[in-house]
Amino acid sequence: MKPIRYLAVARHLALAGLVACIATPAAAATGKLVLTGGVSSIDGAAGGGLTPWAVIGTNATDGEIGGTAHVTRVSTQDYALTSYGAALGYHNKFEISIARQNFDASPAIALNGIAPFGVKRGENIEMDVLGVKYRIFGEAVLDSLNLIPQVAVGIEHKQVQPNSLKSVLRFLDASTSSTDFYVSATKLLLEHSLLLNGTLRITKANQNGLLGFGAGAQGKDKYTGQPEFSVAYLLHRTLAIGAEYRFKPNNLEILGRRAGLGSALREDDWSDVFVAWAPSKHFSLTGAYVDLGGIVPGITRKRDQTGWYLSAQYAF
Amino acid sequence: MLRHISRTIFATLLALSVLGHPAGAIAASDLTLYRALGERPGLTALMDKFLDGLLADKRTEPFFGKSDHAHVKLMLVDLICDVIGGPCEYAGEDMTTSHEKHAITAADFNALVEVLQVAMDQQGIPVADQNRLLARLAPMHRAIITRR
Repeated sequence: MKPIRYLAVARHLALAGLVACIATPAAAATGKLVLTGGVSSIDGAAGGGLTPWAVIGTNATDGEIGGTAHVTRVSTQDYALTSYGAALGYHNKFEISIARQNFDASPAIALNGIAPFGVKRGENIEMDVLGVKYRIFGEAVLDSLNLIPQVAVGIEHKQVQPNSLKSVLRFLDASTSSTDFYVSATKLLLEHSLLLNGTLRITKANQNGLLGFGAGAQGKDKYTGQPEFSVAYLLHRTLAIGAEYRFKPNNLEILGRRAGLGSALREDDWSDVFVAWAPSKHFSLTGAYVDLGGIVPGITRKRDQTGWYLSAQYAF
Repeated sequence: MLRHISRTIFATLLALSVLGHPAGAIAASDLTLYRALGERPGLTALMDKFLDGLLADKRTEPFFGKSDHAHVKLMLVDLICDVIGGPCEYAGEDMTTSHEKHAITAADFNALVEVLQVAMDQQGIPVADQNRLLARLAPMHRAIITRR
């Protein structure tokens, strides 16, 4: 039995819920102001593209229940990631989200030249993320004359299915499952049309979990705190531009150095600049240019991974 | 490259937002928003469109349909003029008294905000000024939303 089985079950339940909601548009929650539930992050939680925010996703405000579904594609020089998933917002207080990521790790075939890892050609790494977020206090949008942010705490439980890269994760001594914990603070400085978010993530993830969690090197198997920042400027209520910066751990590089591979396994911070557009309350599109730094640069001629991010979200 | 640029941008923005935000303090002598909204004639024209919108929207019509429209409009002009630092004094009921008799949800409040945004678009008010006005009005949600 695959370890991701129960997440698969949860995903089917979430999809069934989505279909039920779409089939009954009368139940559509539309109480929130457009875009104030954020967009869908790659891990499924509402926020920016690469980082969760303290906002509760969907159009559901106090006393309402809403849902979103998203599909996101990120494409860089050597890799590609597809993420799809769904989120449920309850009374603007509680959010549950689920995402499936499919990471095209084709360059990993080169790892067979280092050791007989048995990595298959065109291999994919899959990851499931189950997210839960709870808003503790604050009103990010309407309390516009004070500086008290909206604050939420959340978890992202991740299970990765590395397929034929399993032997590589074993070599790194990285586990295939772990939980990230985070606290987020979001504030819309409406007077300035500016939204700010700061998130502190406590994580063991290597490349967000796609390369497992932790590593078999001293001090590299522990949780560390990683800050993430977003800023957005509202050009219109339906159009925002902004940027994000996400610090990341670098658990694997030291193992690579010991194996005589130099900085081949280095991990860098992530950043992006984005445009989010919501032509209606039910649909938003986000485009971004991302800089993901090195992702196992030893097998990608040491080049940084930059490229395009496109995400569509349907809300009901 | 992008990572280095954005690192600088974030440090600057965070510093500015922490140090430079007036935390809602509105100088009594600051008439810039009042002027940007076209002073009293501009506010009156905006409230005409706003009330038309409130009556045309089935989410907000139930709250305004039976009211004395001319009186509501006058009160709204006075109220907005007052909260944006204009030379007016709002003499109507305070927000808690005028709303406590009604069952108003967050969704109702946001529906009203949306109608106001459309009215401001129709009036040709730039988005930055729209948001400056909304920033002064939005905190009233605490008194207006009676059903949480």
